[in-house]
Amino acid sequence: MAESAHSSLLDVNNLHTYLQSGGEIVKAVDDVSFTIPRGETFCLVGESGSGKSITALSIISLLPHGIATHPKGEVWYNGDNMLTLPDEKLRHIRGSQIAMIFQEPMTSLNPVLPIGEQIIEALLLHNPDMDEAEAEERAIKALEQVQIPNAKGRFNDYPHQLSGGQRQRVMIAMALACEPELLIADEPTTALDVTVQAEILRLMRELQDTTGMSTLFITHDFGVVAQMAQQVGVMQRGKLVEVGATADVLRAPEHAYTRQLLAAVPENLVRGFKTKAPTPPRPIRERGPGGEGESSLIQTTHLKVWFPIKKGIFRRTVDHVKAVDDVSLDIPKGQIVALVGESGCGKTTLGRAIIQLEKATSGSVKMRDTELSTLSANEMRAIRSDMQIAFQDPQSSLNPRLLIETALTEPMQVHGIGSSQEERLELAGAVLERMQLKRAHLWRYPHEFSGGQRQRIGLARALVLNPAFIVCDEITSALDVSVQAEILQLLLDLRAERDLTLLFITHNIGVVEYLSDQTVVMYKGKVVERGDTAQVCGEPQHEYTQKLLAAVPRLSGFNG
Amino acid sequence: MTEISTKASAKAIKKHARQQSFGRRILRSALAGWGVKIGLLWVGLLVIAAVFAPFLANSMPIIMSKGGEISLPVLNYMTGEDFAVLGAFIVALLLWILPIPINFRLSLIVVLVAGVSAGVVGNIFLKAPELVNYSQFRSASFNEGVEWKVMPPIPYAAEDYLRDYGYRGLERPLADKATEDGRLHLMGTEENSGDVMSRMIHASRIALSIGFVATSIAMVIGVIIGGFMGYFSGWVDMLGMRLVEIFEAIPTLFLLLTFVAFFGRNLYMMMIIIGVTSWSGYARYIRAEFLKLRKQDYVQAAIASGLPLKSVLFRHMLPNGVAPLLVAASFGVASAILAEATLSFLGLGVVGAPSWGQMLDQAVKSSTFNWWMAAFPGGAIFMTVFAYNLIGEALRDAIDPHMARNSGVN
Repeated sequence: MAESAHSSLLDVNNLHTYLQSGGEIVKAVDDVSFTIPRGETFCLVGESGSGKSITALSIISLLPHGIATHPKGEVWYNGDNMLTLPDEKLRHIRGSQIAMIFQEPMTSLNPVLPIGEQIIEALLLHNPDMDEAEAEERAIKALEQVQIPNAKGRFNDYPHQLSGGQRQRVMIAMALACEPELLIADEPTTALDVTVQAEILRLMRELQDTTGMSTLFITHDFGVVAQMAQQVGVMQRGKLVEVGATADVLRAPEHAYTRQLLAAVPENLVRGFKTKAPTPPRPIRERGPGGEGESSLIQTTHLKVWFPIKKGIFRRTVDHVKAVDDVSLDIPKGQIVALVGESGCGKTTLGRAIIQLEKATSGSVKMRDTELSTLSANEMRAIRSDMQIAFQDPQSSLNPRLLIETALTEPMQVHGIGSSQEERLELAGAVLERMQLKRAHLWRYPHEFSGGQRQRIGLARALVLNPAFIVCDEITSALDVSVQAEILQLLLDLRAERDLTLLFITHNIGVVEYLSDQTVVMYKGKVVERGDTAQVCGEPQHEYTQKLLAAVPRLSGFNG
Repeated sequence: MTEISTKASAKAIKKHARQQSFGRRILRSALAGWGVKIGLLWVGLLVIAAVFAPFLANSMPIIMSKGGEISLPVLNYMTGEDFAVLGAFIVALLLWILPIPINFRLSLIVVLVAGVSAGVVGNIFLKAPELVNYSQFRSASFNEGVEWKVMPPIPYAAEDYLRDYGYRGLERPLADKATEDGRLHLMGTEENSGDVMSRMIHASRIALSIGFVATSIAMVIGVIIGGFMGYFSGWVDMLGMRLVEIFEAIPTLFLLLTFVAFFGRNLYMMMIIIGVTSWSGYARYIRAEFLKLRKQDYVQAAIASGLPLKSVLFRHMLPNGVAPLLVAASFGVASAILAEATLSFLGLGVVGAPSWGQMLDQAVKSSTFNWWMAAFPGGAIFMTVFAYNLIGEALRDAIDPHMARNSGVN
C-alpha cells in the first residue's frame, strides 16, 4: 500500500479486535480508524475498559493469538499490514521501529539485571552487528538523553536503586535506544507523582522534537492530552467516538460522550459548582500551631510517626523513616480538609495515625478534647464508631467472602446501633440508597460490583456508624473521571446533610480545588503550607506548593 | 403484606448470592477437571468401605430368619466405634440431601455430636463380645433351623482366620484348594488365613481416620499459633517462629517409634503424635497469609469499625487466608496415611486390627513372594495418597487465579 507510506506513519483502518473470554466474545475494539502523521503525537483518551490499551496492543500484534482475533481491519505501518505480517518480521519491527512503554515502572524492568545491561541487550538484539563497546556508548547516551544524572555512574545500578520517575526514564531510554519511528506509550505517567509526571512529559516532548518520531499516547487524563497531543481520539466501549485536532476537541467537543467526559474533569467541575451554588460563607479562623480553638474536632500536636530502620545481627535501630514528622493540625468541625502531597510524603500515614490505625511515636491526637493516643484498645473500640476511614483501592477495601449486608450490619451490631437485625438492615438499606445503590445490593458479594460501586459501599460502611469524622484516603484516584465526579458530588451533599468533617487525602489538585474548604500540603513528612483552599491554590507561598501547582496538567489553556 | 414480600424477595436474592459465593466458585472450578473427579471417586469409595465395613465383609449374616424369628446378627456384633462411624455418616447424608438451611460449621458440629452419641449408645446397649469365634457362624449348630439368610458380599470377617477349615496359610487369589472347600477369596488369604479383601476393607477405616484426625489436630494448632503470629507480629511472631523451628526439628517417625515403645501400640496416640508434630507447616502458611491480610484495607476497615479481635481474626481474616491451608491439608492427609503405613510396615502399628502397612509388612517378611499381599495394600496406599494429592493440586490451581482456567488437573 504505497498511498499510506507518504505522509502518515501509521494508518489504522476499521480495526476490529474481538477477545474470547469463557465462551463469550467481547468486542474490545470495534471499528477504529485513525492515522498518525510522522513526527506527531496522537492521544487515545477514554475511561478504563474502553479499549485503548487493546488498540495499542493490536497495532503491534502483542495480543495472544488464541484469544484475540481481528475479523476486520488493517494496520498499515510503513506499507506493511501489521495484522498479517509473519512473526519473524513482526519481531524485527517491534522494538527497533515501534517501541512501547508501559504504565507500571515498578514491574517493567527486570529487577535482577543492571539497567545498562538491559538497554544493551535491547540494542544488540536489534543491531546484531554492533560491538559491545559501541552498544555501551549508545546506552549511556540514551540514559543521558533521558536526563538521568550521572548516567555513566548509574549505568550498573539495579532498578530498585532508582526512583519511580527514574525507572520510567530508563524505560523511555530503552525504548529510544534503537531509535524507533513510532513510540507507543500506554499511560506512562499514571503511576507517577504530578511533579515527576510534568518532567517526564516535558522530556518526551523534547525527545520527540529532536528525534522526529511519532507517538501514540494513551491516557485517561485530559490535562495530559492538552499538553501532549496534536490530535486526539476519544474511545468509548471499543468505538472511537470522536477524532480531531486536540484544540478543536477540547474547545468544542462534538460527541455527547466527549462533552460528558470533559465536564467531569474536576477542573471544570469547580466552575460548574461555583456558578450553581456558591459555597456558603463559613467563618474560617486563623490558625497556627498555638492557636487551638473549641470548634475543632480533631487536633494533633507535634504528632510523629517514625518507623525504625533496623540493621545488623542485633537488629539495632540505626535510623528512622520519618513518615510523619512533627505535625500539628486542627480540623474544624464540618469542614472538608484536603491533605495533598506526592506519594511517600506521609499523608496516608498521618490519616491512619489520626484514627489510631497507626501508632504514633510521640505527640498527641485529640478528638473533642479526648486524648486518643493513650486510650486502651477497649476504650478506643468504643470511640471508633465516631471516626471512620474509606480506602483507595476498590479491589481490597471490601472483604470478598462477606455479603455487603454483613459488612454493613456487623459494625452496627458491635456498636449497638439498631435494636434488632431487621432494624439494622433497614438502616443499612437506607444508607445504600443514599449512596445511589439499590437495597437489594445488600445480598450481593463485593466481586459483583464495579470499582465505583465498591467505593460507594466503602463509604456506606463508614457512614452506617454515623461518624462525625471520616478519613477519605484517595478514594477517587482509582476511578474514572465521570465516576469520580459523582462521588465528589455525593460527598458534598453528605457533608451538608450530616455535618460531616472530612479529611480528604489526595494527590489530585483538581479535586482539592473542587471539594475542600481548607488545604494542607505535606512534603517529606512535614506540613509545609496550609490555609483556605482558594488561598493555597491561588497564591501558594511555599516553594514546594508552587512547584506542585505548576506541575498539574491543565485544560485551561484550551478552555480560554 | 409488602414487608413479607420484600423479605421473601430478599431471601431469594440471598439464595442467589449464596450460589455465587467465593467458596462455591472455587469449588466449582476445582471440580472441573478429570483428575480431581477420580481422586474424589476413590476417596468416596474408601469412605463407603470404611463406614459399611461390618456390612460389606463379615462372617455373620446381615439378616436371617431362624425358626420363624428374624434377627440381625451383624448388629449384635457391632462395636461402639462401628456405631459412631455409621451414625455420623447417616446424619451427614441427611443434612446433605434434605433441604435444611444450615451452615457448614453447625452441620459439622451436628455430625460430630451424632457420631459420638451413636458410639456411646452403642457401647451402653450392645454388648459385643470381646472375642468372637467367627467359625461358629459356619457351624452346623448355628445354621440349624435357618430358613433364609443374607450374607455380606464378602462372607469373612477381617479377623476370621478360618479355624474350621484347619490351618490354610497363604493362598493366592481363587486358589484351587479354596475352591474345593467352597470358599471364595478374591484377593487371596494372608499367612493366618484371614481374607485379604476383608482386611483391606476394614483397614480403610484406619487409613481414613488417621489422615483426617491427625490433619485436623495439626490444622487447629497451626491456625491458632500461625494466626497469632501473623496478626500480632513483633515478639509474638518471634517466639512463635522459634516454636515452629523447634517442632520442625523433631522427626515425627522417630518420635512415634519412641512413643510406641513406651505406651504401646495405640491408634489414637499415633493420631495425636502425628498431629502435634506436623502443625508447623500450617502455622507458617497462616502466618504468611495473615501478615499479608493484616495490611488489606478491609481488615483495616474492620479494625477501624471497632470490631472485636475475635471477629477480625476469624471472620474477616481466616476465611480469606484459609485457601492455601486446605491445599496443604490434602497433602497432609496423604502424608499421615503414609506415616501410619510406614509404622505398620516396620511392625510397630496397631496390633490385631488390620492395616495396609501391616499387610505390606507381612508380604515382605514372608519367605516366598506372594504378589497379592504386596499388590493390593500397596496399590490402595498409592491410590489414596495419589487421590489426596490430586484433590490438593486441583484446589491449589483453583485458588490461584492465574491457574484457575485450567484447574482440576486436566
